[in-house]
Amino acid sequence: MAEAKKFPFADEVVLPPELEGWEEMYAPQRLFSKDREDWEKRHFWYQDKIHAPEPLYPLDDIFQSSWQIALSQFTTRVFCIPPAQGVAQRILGCYMYIAAVEPPPPEVMGEKAERFGKRVPYVFQNYNMLWDKWYEKFDALGKQMKELKVIKEFDKYVPEEEVIPYPKGYTQAYELIESFNNIINMIIKAWQWHFEYLNLAYLGYLMFTDTAKKLFPGIKESTIGKMVAGAEVSMFRPEEELCRLSRLAMENPAVAAILKKDIPVEEKIKELKETDKGKAWFEEFEKVKDPWFFVSCGSGWYHYEGSWINKLDVPFSYIKSYIERLEKGEKIERSFDEISKERERIVDEYRKLIGTDDDRKSFDDAYNVVRTIYRYAEDHLFWVEHWFHTIWFEKIREYGELLVKYNVLKDIDDIYLFNRFEVPMLLEDLATAWALGEGVPTRGKFWQEKAAKRKRILEAAKKWLPVPALGVPPEEVAEPFTVMLWGITSEKVGEWLKGGGGEVVTDVNEIKGFASSAGVAEGPARVLKLMEDVVKLQPGEIMVAPCTNPSWAPVFTKIKAAVTDIGGLTSHAAIVSREYGLPAVTGTGIATAVIKTGDIIRVDGSIGTVTIVKKA
Amino acid sequence: MSEKWIYWFHEIGQEYNNIVGKKCANLGELTKAGFQVPPGFALGVEAYKRFMTETEATDRLLKFLEDFHADPNNVAETLKFEEASVKMRAIVESIKMPSDMEKTIKEYYGELCKAAGGKEVYVATRSAGPVSHPGQYETYLNVCGADDVVFNVIRVWSSTFNTRSIIARARLNLPLHFDPIGVAVLTMVDAKAAGVMFTVNPVNGDVAKVAIEGSFGYGEAVVSGNVTPDRYLVDKVTMEIEERVISDKGAEFVYNPETKEMEYKELPPDKRKVQCLEDREILELTRLAKEVERHFQCPQDIEWSISRSLPFPKNIFLVQARPESVWGKKKKESVLGKKSGMELLFERAFTPVKVKI
Repeated sequence: MAEAKKFPFADEVVLPPELEGWEEMYAPQRLFSKDREDWEKRHFWYQDKIHAPEPLYPLDDIFQSSWQIALSQFTTRVFCIPPAQGVAQRILGCYMYIAAVEPPPPEVMGEKAERFGKRVPYVFQNYNMLWDKWYEKFDALGKQMKELKVIKEFDKYVPEEEVIPYPKGYTQAYELIESFNNIINMIIKAWQWHFEYLNLAYLGYLMFTDTAKKLFPGIKESTIGKMVAGAEVSMFRPEEELCRLSRLAMENPAVAAILKKDIPVEEKIKELKETDKGKAWFEEFEKVKDPWFFVSCGSGWYHYEGSWINKLDVPFSYIKSYIERLEKGEKIERSFDEISKERERIVDEYRKLIGTDDDRKSFDDAYNVVRTIYRYAEDHLFWVEHWFHTIWFEKIREYGELLVKYNVLKDIDDIYLFNRFEVPMLLEDLATAWALGEGVPTRGKFWQEKAAKRKRILEAAKKWLPVPALGVPPEEVAEPFTVMLWGITSEKVGEWLKGGGGEVVTDVNEIKGFASSAGVAEGPARVLKLMEDVVKLQPGEIMVAPCTNPSWAPVFTKIKAAVTDIGGLTSHAAIVSREYGLPAVTGTGIATAVIKTGDIIRVDGSIGTVTIVKKA
Repeated sequence: MSEKWIYWFHEIGQEYNNIVGKKCANLGELTKAGFQVPPGFALGVEAYKRFMTETEATDRLLKFLEDFHADPNNVAETLKFEEASVKMRAIVESIKMPSDMEKTIKEYYGELCKAAGGKEVYVATRSAGPVSHPGQYETYLNVCGADDVVFNVIRVWSSTFNTRSIIARARLNLPLHFDPIGVAVLTMVDAKAAGVMFTVNPVNGDVAKVAIEGSFGYGEAVVSGNVTPDRYLVDKVTMEIEERVISDKGAEFVYNPETKEMEYKELPPDKRKVQCLEDREILELTRLAKEVERHFQCPQDIEWSISRSLPFPKNIFLVQARPESVWGKKKKESVLGKKSGMELLFERAFTPVKVKI
């Protein structure tokens, strides 16, 4: 079969009939459109499996639309990377597609180069100071969101003290509207800050990759990852805290015994509180909970994933297995010291292989540049996607509760079925009904029917396999994120095109991905689509997951190898697998669709292939 | 007392290049540096000189050459050189070695046998020119017994009169009757697999890799290009086997005890595409390659052999090491152009990435 040279354009994609009406969930600027057709068809769009692997709930889309602005502006308007422009988004059939915007006109590149020259070196020279400032303001923003007051119920009458001696002048109706406007502002601001130094961190990484490849043409991306990645980053703290709490529990056999029980978390906590030692342990748990257990059970991008703090069975099950391992005399902590030493050894031995002193000097300098800033790429992830999003989801839940209480919505999470421009309508509707007096109806029935319909559409969208890309592949890409984060390479696009461009091929016995952690392993697969499935995982199985994140870390002590749909060489699964010495193939795109639990698979992390040896 | 003409490997090193020939000198250097090299000894060029001058060899060769005239630059006259070669080699191989030399060689061989437990060991007699002429002279494998060793040493000497060599000398106007070389007599490794390795990736010059090529049986199969070997690429720093190409190796080069000849024996179908090395052997070879490179201070081209009968890691022998000829000769030049990290960052930021579709 001749390979297709292009993917379908957006208007050529046939969506399942059950998706009818999907467009109304998203703001018009989020959709492909006739009026922008020329521009849209000039660009190459691919499904963003990193940030939006699943259909987008309208309110969860706020993260996406926020990063479209934030990521792009730091490239185009702030640090001014000359040939690069932003990354544009479109939603099609509830899935998000992205495109690196075509390069700007030559005169603009010149203007940008001048600004880049002034601004970028400044950031690198002052990065430590800038990070301290970043952390300070981000922490304050998170606290501000936590303190945001959402009314629990409407007062029948405004309390006396708000009238006499000085009337406040506004009521809960206004406060409700104001607070939601505020929380929207905060999440958009958090996302502005998310990208403050990320573009430069990625640019630094790409620069170091180029440098290393000039010196060592065959150097592996995974080796570069080992040289650059840090160990003492915020992302690993949640796991460290679990280890510490497990060791603390070991000091008192009664506490350990409770934590090891096969009973619901609530009962464990109740039992712990019955003894002084148990109470002391639980207090310690509570003490570190914020921020370190504000960790999403998924990627942090979807409200339904939940966080450790509201799915306590997740951290408690990890603690249980850590205690059991400690009792067997096993070591549970990762040795960050050893990881750092290994990183230093690799860098040192590579630099010794460099042929000339001049090159060694350039290499050292390039390495220092990337090491200065790369930490940001690892740290921001915990603070934004995990800590801040956890706070956001908790707060949004409060609005959901209020809407359910007054019968505007049926379920708390139904609030996510309305986009960020629509939620204010629901809130205004409710506030108006209260203000108008007794016996005034809201449009609750209308909203609830809408919610039910949207739920059905999203369910149908989940079953649809979206086309991997749209339009004509480009000849060059200048946008650092596209190259680094989404790993858009000619091989990748070629793989997609093999399926004729129109559909995802799932009937294959070998799939390819990034060779993220060396080694070969064979064994039964366990496909984990959701965090909840983790409990089914048996020791010695090979984990196949859409992607992983810090909250999955303890899983890696059980498995033989890891395979993911999403993620490059610096993805969480890649980093942790290397640390545990497990073979890993990441960014396969289709592993969870092709592999079934129980299939015997062979993972070769040295060359990036996964072979299905025997189907279950 | 005449000049010393025979040496144990551990007595010699690189500085003996002109005395024992390159191959012997390198084997000596490896032995002295503590690498596992098959036990053996070297005959210096002095041994060749003594043999040629103390016997009637030189006189007879000169006499034969009085009537020999041919133009080495005329391809049509190649046949004349071929005929001369046959005759000259017959002369040399018909001559008996001076008895003291024969006695000494037999004693050295006896020592090798004693060290190996008393039985007669198989050795290879390999030519070692002071200037490297790969493949010009001959090598005889699986030589066993003192008389055979003495005879095969003479055969190696007589290979300086093979057609190639006399044409080469004639072209350079060098004397045709005399071309002193050394001879290495080293114990055969009963090879289950053998091959070569480079301390630089020969494909792209990447100095951080060791490239290994190997096949079943003796190394000649790989060196001569008669089989398609397995290929492995190992990172020197991470020690990860990053590439492995397992080839259909077809046949192995082995010794046939019945015919007493080396021969290509077809591999059974289930073995042809089996990896010829264990992973730990690949990694051990890589470790050795790095050490050899460090010892000689330049990229190396190394021949290795893995014994069938010894346990790992004692089974791994180095049988040759020489400077790698392509990348090793390149002048070390800066590839980054003295740029600072910030300059490299600018370069990266200003250059779009080409994506070939």
